[in-house]
Amino acid sequence: MLNFEDDPTLTQLLNDEQLARLNHSLSALCQAPITLTESHPGGDATPVEFNLETVGWLSGGKDQQERAAAAGLVSFLMMFIGKYRLAANLHHDTTEASYAELQRQNDALRESEARYRELSDQLQQKVDEQVGVIRQTQQELYESARLRSVGQLAAGVAHEINNPIGFISSNLRVARDYVKEMQAMLPDTEDNRELATDFNDLLNESIDGAGRIADIVADLKTFSSIDQADYTRCNINALLTSAIHLVQTEYDHGLHIMEQLNDLPEISGHPSRLSQTFFNLLDNAAQAIRSPDKPQDNGRILVKTLEQNGSVQVIIQDNGCGIADSHRPRVFDAFYTSRPVGSGTGLGLTVAQDTVRAHGGQLQLHSREGTGTRVLLTLPIN
Amino acid sequence: MPDFSPEDNKLTLKVVFYGPALSGKTTNLMQLHTLLNPERKGELMVLETRDDRTLFFDMLPIGLRGTSGLDLRLKLYTVPGQVQHDSTRKAVLSRADGVVFVADSQLNQQDNNAIAFGNLEENLEKVGLDIDTLPMAVQFNKRDLPHVVAEDELQGWWADTPWAPLIMASALKGEGVIRTFRTLLDRLYTVVDDEFHLAADHGINRRQFVERLSRSSDSEVPGAEF
Ligand SMILES: Nc1nc2c(ncn2[C@@H]2O[C@H](COP(=O)(O)OP(=O)(O)O)[C@@H](O)[C@H]2O)c(=O)[nH]1
Ligand SMILES: [Mg+2]
Repeated sequence: MLNFEDDPTLTQLLNDEQLARLNHSLSALCQAPITLTESHPGGDATPVEFNLETVGWLSGGKDQQERAAAAGLVSFLMMFIGKYRLAANLHHDTTEASYAELQRQNDALRESEARYRELSDQLQQKVDEQVGVIRQTQQELYESARLRSVGQLAAGVAHEINNPIGFISSNLRVARDYVKEMQAMLPDTEDNRELATDFNDLLNESIDGAGRIADIVADLKTFSSIDQADYTRCNINALLTSAIHLVQTEYDHGLHIMEQLNDLPEISGHPSRLSQTFFNLLDNAAQAIRSPDKPQDNGRILVKTLEQNGSVQVIIQDNGCGIADSHRPRVFDAFYTSRPVGSGTGLGLTVAQDTVRAHGGQLQLHSREGTGTRVLLTLPIN
Repeated sequence: MPDFSPEDNKLTLKVVFYGPALSGKTTNLMQLHTLLNPERKGELMVLETRDDRTLFFDMLPIGLRGTSGLDLRLKLYTVPGQVQHDSTRKAVLSRADGVVFVADSQLNQQDNNAIAFGNLEENLEKVGLDIDTLPMAVQFNKRDLPHVVAEDELQGWWADTPWAPLIMASALKGEGVIRTFRTLLDRLYTVVDDEFHLAADHGINRRQFVERLSRSSDSEVPGAEF
């Protein structure tokens, strides 16, 4: 690499034209033509010194004295040319160095900009995640508040109904006995017999109805579990049975539900959340088998429980419409629903998923469009 | 780093006079040009000034020959002291073999001295030189002026540095200039002899190196202070 301070050669100081002009002028001054060359021309020549460096040789001229005078003159000229060269070279060097420095700073700036962009992306991602968490938590809060209020209402209603339905049932039984007694006192005529039989049937029907009301009230109490602490020992089969009864009530007892409930140990859990989960899953299944493109009477729901590998498995399976492939990945998204507007918020599966996770379990969903859906819940025992 | 070209047996060393603006760097070089009578001395190139202030740099080449025919040259440079010429300072400083730091002794110039010294440290690092190993002499100039920091005080402050003792000078009067230069030559010799075996291979020992390069024109005896 050339440095600004490297000693310049004659050709670096003067170009050919300038050298010719200098030679011409020098020759005009001297008595005989004189020539300045970079390398020794051979024969008689006088060195031209510039800054301790022999930059060229003078040959020709009348004599040595004349050449020495010319050499002095050329040296003097060289000083100014050399100064200019030095300054120009230095300027060139510093400009290049400054440019390189600028370039380096530019690169560094670019790099740090990229770093900041990456950082900002990461931050944005974190913010998005947090927003997701907040939204999720909000949803759960909302859901649990709703559950609690529904549960409170249900418990209140159940409590209020429990008493009157109790004395209605017992009064009806007493009334039935009275009808028997009254029949014995009446004349045994065809009309009277018919009247008494009719009366008896009416009372039996009413007793039946009151009994069903009492059952529903009992299921509601199980379902809301409002009187229970958050986590307690849960009988999964009992919770499932209640949920099945409630779904049947909602669908006018028209669902074909097959129960295969095997003996299970009690597990630690949150009964009202589990009940809500079972209800949601059964409700989904019921809607699936009732969808317009499936003949209603074919629809069946299988509810099965079993104990396996230290956990309780609950299978809720239907042969309904299934979930389209395109919908499957979003099935667990809150608010997503593939059903017509108005038939649910779509929260069912999300809440079910969250509940199962909160119990340390898993929810697996297998579905094929047009064939059916199978949901497998795995809940750890204890 | 020294520039040695084996084919012409030529060794070129570079010494840079550094310091704040107007501390007397150019004056130092002009005095050396006047006072020195080394074996070989080139033209003093003062690269042009505006209002008497260095825009680029000044340069004075001197030299001697060793017994081996070694063509040893010393190029003495000054840098422009003004802040805005930092890139020029860096370019001149790069590949320096030695530095003479010319400080201004006046009381009101001490901040400028410190800033310039900091700038020297910074630029040395940028051009890949190590201030702790680079031969350097520190001169406090303008001792002829009335309001200067006392020498005792200055020597005290610098006592624990590798550059003690400081050299007091009045470049304007030509005092202390050669002494400063000799101090630098002495420190420079150590480093150059290490690498190029000046004594062993070229017959140039320390005393010869210093004296032959700093012989002054008005003294008969080489090595005597002016
Ligand atoms: N009184 C006094 N003035 C000096 C001395 N050395 C330099 N100066 C003056 O200080 C000014 C700047 O000097 P110069 O050598 O150009 O400084 P540079 O910027 O370091 O090159 C000039 O007016 C010099 O005459 C000194 O020893 N004593
Ligand atoms: Mg100057």
